[in-house]
Amino acid sequence: MDRTLVDFVKVLRTAEIKVSPAETLDAMVALDVVGYQDREFLKNSLAIVLSKTPEEKEAFDDCFDRFFTFDKFSAMDEQAPTRDQPGDDSDDFDPQSDSKEQGSGKGGQGAGGGGGGEQQEQESEREASELKLEPSSPLGKLLLSGDKSELMISMAEAGRKAEVNQIVVFTQKGLYTRKIMDNMGLKELQQEIGDLQAHGGPPQADLAGRLKAARDRLRDRVRDYVEKQFMLHADESGKLLREELLKKVKLSNLEKRNFKDVQEVVFKMAKKLISIHSKRRKTYRRGHLDIRKTLRHNMQYDGIFFDLHWKASKVDRPKVMCICDVSGSVSNYSRFLLMFLYSVAEVLPKVRSFAFSSDLGEVTRLFQQSNLEDAMAKTMRDYGNGSTDYGQMLADFRSHCMDDVDKKTTVIILGDARNNYGDPRADVLKEVYDKAKRVIWLNPEPKMSWTVGDAEMKKYAPCCHQAEVCNSLVHLERVVSNLLRAAT
Amino acid sequence: MAIKNEEKLADIDVIESNFESLNYICNAQIATAVFLAYHLEKPILIEGPPGVGKTELAKTTAEMLDLPCIRLQCYEGLDESKAIYEWKYGKQLLYTQVLKETLSEILEGARGLTESVGKLHEFGDIFFSEDFLEPRPLLKALKAEEGCVLLIDEVDKSDHEFESLLLEMLSDFQLSIPEIGTVKAHPDRKPLVFLTSNNTREISDALKRRCLHLYIPFPDADLESRIVHARVPAIPEKLRRQLVAFIQELRGMDLKKVPAISETIDWARTLILLHSDSLDADLVRQTLNVILKFQEDIETVESELQGVTNKALKES
Repeated sequence: MDRTLVDFVKVLRTAEIKVSPAETLDAMVALDVVGYQDREFLKNSLAIVLSKTPEEKEAFDDCFDRFFTFDKFSAMDEQAPTRDQPGDDSDDFDPQSDSKEQGSGKGGQGAGGGGGGEQQEQESEREASELKLEPSSPLGKLLLSGDKSELMISMAEAGRKAEVNQIVVFTQKGLYTRKIMDNMGLKELQQEIGDLQAHGGPPQADLAGRLKAARDRLRDRVRDYVEKQFMLHADESGKLLREELLKKVKLSNLEKRNFKDVQEVVFKMAKKLISIHSKRRKTYRRGHLDIRKTLRHNMQYDGIFFDLHWKASKVDRPKVMCICDVSGSVSNYSRFLLMFLYSVAEVLPKVRSFAFSSDLGEVTRLFQQSNLEDAMAKTMRDYGNGSTDYGQMLADFRSHCMDDVDKKTTVIILGDARNNYGDPRADVLKEVYDKAKRVIWLNPEPKMSWTVGDAEMKKYAPCCHQAEVCNSLVHLERVVSNLLRAAT
Repeated sequence: MAIKNEEKLADIDVIESNFESLNYICNAQIATAVFLAYHLEKPILIEGPPGVGKTELAKTTAEMLDLPCIRLQCYEGLDESKAIYEWKYGKQLLYTQVLKETLSEILEGARGLTESVGKLHEFGDIFFSEDFLEPRPLLKALKAEEGCVLLIDEVDKSDHEFESLLLEMLSDFQLSIPEIGTVKAHPDRKPLVFLTSNNTREISDALKRRCLHLYIPFPDADLESRIVHARVPAIPEKLRRQLVAFIQELRGMDLKKVPAISETIDWARTLILLHSDSLDADLVRQTLNVILKFQEDIETVESELQGVTNKALKES
């Protein structure tokens, strides 16, 4: 059962439930106390030990139900000849007893259900098939015995041997189905069927037919099983893989259908950043004893520390002004940068954003009020067309917002600095540079092309505290994280 | 772990019925959590919206087991001197004053500083012994003779630092006091710990990892009806159904704060005081302030009152 539990924990982890090894140990202790008799009880217990938020609980319920499904098996073999009463049998197979037997079977059975004990079978094969016309291969016996839980255990065991939980892509389904069948002893069964048919007598042919039918049913069953395992293991890990990829892919290459995934990734990243930085803020707020100030203020009381002074809580909430180029080539970057900035609103409350391609316009309210898609669409409509003119943008910025720029302000400019050979007005940027706390220029293009053609980075870069290449979510995350670090 | 009335925790059905006899109606999850908390010797972290009986669970458990319930109410700025222990400074001062005379007697005949200090050392750290220790809830819980139920209420209101302070207590049932050493709970009398949280902030993973996690949501109509019946037995059956249906209806609406079980119970008591035996729109309008705590919520509901009431009456 331990291994089953570990497998289950693995499934939980792919479903993004954080389960630590310590919790796995707790779950094992809980299992000892609870036992496997009552499925609902078991589920509740494991849920309490392993999942730690309401969302995780929901995911847990889903995983538990998918991981411990055996009920489908009861419908199997309805027409198959069975020694005991077939009708009763399939009714008996409620999931509880199954999971229980599954549990006890796993520990003791080991390789038994699979292809073990091969020599014995071959010896007994001849006598058996001739005398009683019972199937001799272990798999054949198992199939015709109608013992579904045994069969289930054997299949799960074979699945484990074939490492079906490593399945990643759906094209592997066929491969794993085959592997599991082989592990269950398909080869001997085939041999037996062949032998029986070669023998030719009517009873033998009958048995061969029955075995064949059972084998085909089993194959369907195994395929089903693999399918389920795939859903369980690969679906989620595939998602993780995709998310990892999305983080690194160039944002300009993103296709529209991926936007939703990317949004999710951004929110996750933002949440991480928030949890890191919000803690820090808290400790800062308390402040230390300001010795100098206290000394100075207490001179009047004859130097007795009467009126304590604390280092003022560091309310250095940064003002961030974000100027985004929204011309076609760069709009994706702007989109996700803005998304990032608004996602971390909890720790970074004062963000003002501007969009331009030639004339500058403020879009702060738009992004606060409507969702990203709408806001972006509207921004594109209002500011998106027209050729890029950084000179005009900077001039606008000076006339509109220069008064608001002070030594706490961080100005982020996102754009490729391709100015169509117009006047770059780097002097304005210099002015901003002198006044603001930081000026950060994010350029989606690689450094190589910063000076090629109409790109003006060479003139702008000296007027920035930081000029960086930024073309993927990872970069964006880094930028925002640095921003927060400087901020809090 | 062996505590008083252990048999009352034998299995979840027993727990459920025992709770019920104390007028606390719970579902299988809650009973399972209490069962596991006892058998795994782990604290339970209870989360859920306000007013679903998180604190009540701890109190009821204490009552059921006939153990003292030690409560630590968390708030911002709570620190170890309030939660674990404090030295009785006044007593220390007083005693030093009183003992001054005795001190000179003791030191009589000692020659030189070294000798005096040596003599003093023979008496150990009298002023930093348990006699001068003022135990606070956490320490009290560890020292409880027969075991106890420790309720750490609204742990989300405390600071991050305090959470870290709890870790030692929660995982090993021990606390370190620098002057004395480590205080451990009796291995057979470990306190049963309940932590509650309203989710105003995320509890750290380290703390969550050490706890069983129980989420108590709003109850469904059936369970709620049973709870009202247990708490307010005087209420007529028909009114109870209508009342519960109405509350369930309200929870589906877009409100700032939806009514919890405690509000349902208050409302039931109110209606009994008013001698009403059936719900109607006027009655609801007059008593709406019992279940809704924000003016804007009351206004929202009032505009749809007739419809909601009718729906509730039909459903019940």
